[in-house]
Amino acid sequence: MRETHFFKWIGFMALAMILLLPQGNVRAEVSGKVIIFNAGSLTMPLAQMEKEFEATYPGVDVLREAAGSQQCARKIIDLKKPCDIMASADYKVIDKLLIPNYADWNIRFATNQLVLCYTDKSKYAGEVKAKNWYEILARKGVIWGHSDPNLDPCGYRALMVLQLAEKYYKIPGLYKRLIANRPKENIRPKSVELVSLLQTGNMDYAWEYLSVAVQHGLKYTLLPDEINLGNYQFDTFYSQAVVKVTGKKPGTFMDMKGGSVTYGVTMVKDAPNREAAIAFLKYMLDPQGGLKILKDQGQPPFIPCRVPTKAMKSSLPKPLQNLVEVRD
Amino acid sequence: MKREPFFWISVSCGIVIMAFILLPLIQMMSAPSAGMLKETIQDKDVVRSIWLSIYTAGLAALISFVFGTPLAYLLARHDFRGKRLVEGIIDLPIAIPHPVVGIAILSVAGKNHWFGQILAELGVRIMGSVTGIVTVLTFVGIPFYLNATKAGFEAISPRLEKVSRSLGASMFSTFARITFPLAWRSMLIGIIMCSARAISEFGAVVIVAYHPMIAPVLIYERFEAYGLKYSQPVAVWLVSISLILFLLLRILTLHKVEEQ
Repeated sequence: MRETHFFKWIGFMALAMILLLPQGNVRAEVSGKVIIFNAGSLTMPLAQMEKEFEATYPGVDVLREAAGSQQCARKIIDLKKPCDIMASADYKVIDKLLIPNYADWNIRFATNQLVLCYTDKSKYAGEVKAKNWYEILARKGVIWGHSDPNLDPCGYRALMVLQLAEKYYKIPGLYKRLIANRPKENIRPKSVELVSLLQTGNMDYAWEYLSVAVQHGLKYTLLPDEINLGNYQFDTFYSQAVVKVTGKKPGTFMDMKGGSVTYGVTMVKDAPNREAAIAFLKYMLDPQGGLKILKDQGQPPFIPCRVPTKAMKSSLPKPLQNLVEVRD
Repeated sequence: MKREPFFWISVSCGIVIMAFILLPLIQMMSAPSAGMLKETIQDKDVVRSIWLSIYTAGLAALISFVFGTPLAYLLARHDFRGKRLVEGIIDLPIAIPHPVVGIAILSVAGKNHWFGQILAELGVRIMGSVTGIVTVLTFVGIPFYLNATKAGFEAISPRLEKVSRSLGASMFSTFARITFPLAWRSMLIGIIMCSARAISEFGAVVIVAYHPMIAPVLIYERFEAYGLKYSQPVAVWLVSISLILFLLLRILTLHKVEEQ
């Protein structure tokens, strides 16, 4: 007798589990999950966007996964993880890794710039300025770091700033001298991880995007436009900086050339939830919607957003086409 | 004899669990080609990181052994107020999310904390150092050593020790000649558990020390920079080498027990 009860119970549990399984896309209107892989530096503005978007579309659940931009691409290419939208801190990552196999287009939607972050407990915090930061970073006993140039665009960009500083301030050998004062141990995979090192007093200075500094309430030194990678009018000057990063396999390398910090976003070709993803992008790229949030959080958006060619503009989903302009 | 249905339920659950554990592991272990494996093990960075992993995990186990054994003995033999609390604290590192462990250790080791200031004056650096790695691995591994060893001590009747003491042996000599020979197997299992836990730690280590790279961090870096193709062979080597080490230890233990 006991055993039949037991089996009945098991049968009941199995039935309950089948009923509780997600039912897939039954309804036609915008609903379901939208999966976004995003660069770490976009985490806070996207969190805010998620809140606003879900308030308008209660049926949609936005799921965000933050990582280094390269890692986001890896998750799509190698791990075949389902993903609707990928937002990168360097639009070139999308161009290089995702187009043409995993995505068709790439919208540039925001800029940023590099700043040197610190806290009031940092060594020489009282004297650091736009004029003497490089001199302080060269001092013995000052612990400063940046993220891994092989994994995170913020990492190679930090190195570019140092190279450009050598040219801009006309101090030969500055780059080498600075790097010599930064042991490998001070490198972290993602730039956002350096924030907690600053806050716990394990590090004095760290290279971050301006937006990250604003969002985390850190102190920071603004640098001249010629070296902060934030103004595309200086792209020719920026392109003098060249950083060696790892190539396609261990032991190989490739050169990254300096350029302004430009964020890119795309929708993955086999996005599981196209309609909802397009609805989110439409909100995100709207000057009254997502772009406004970016602006408020220290990440100047392009208004309107940009695509490089007419052909790309016409390949965009219809609802997005009038939100972008063709501009190189 | 007719088997009851309960027996068959147990067997099928067992098969499901075995498949659940083995399927992904076999897939991973068989993915890289022999050529890739060979190329990988000739890579100096790989060898260095695997060696660092084994060596730091071993150190964590050694520290747990030295400091943990007396505490495990105390907990097994004595009842005192707050014992439950102490046991709960020992289990804490198992329950805390790994990155939180890393952040917690860094926040004590930083300049903003008095302890970090003392460390800095002594010239001890936690962030980005082997010391830091061993600290993290000990933190996550020590509960496993303590629990296994405590269970070992509890299984030995205190009467044996009392007899030894009543015949005039000192506390230390009783421990060395009665308790230790009976409990050393559980201690060894504790050491294996502790170092196994330590060798697999990633989340806490990557926050405290990215460089120098232990093998799990290198696997992560390889995955992000080059993709699965170049991270899997490192994983295969790490898993194989640790499996061999742990198997050796186990065989050694079983062998000795049969002799006894």
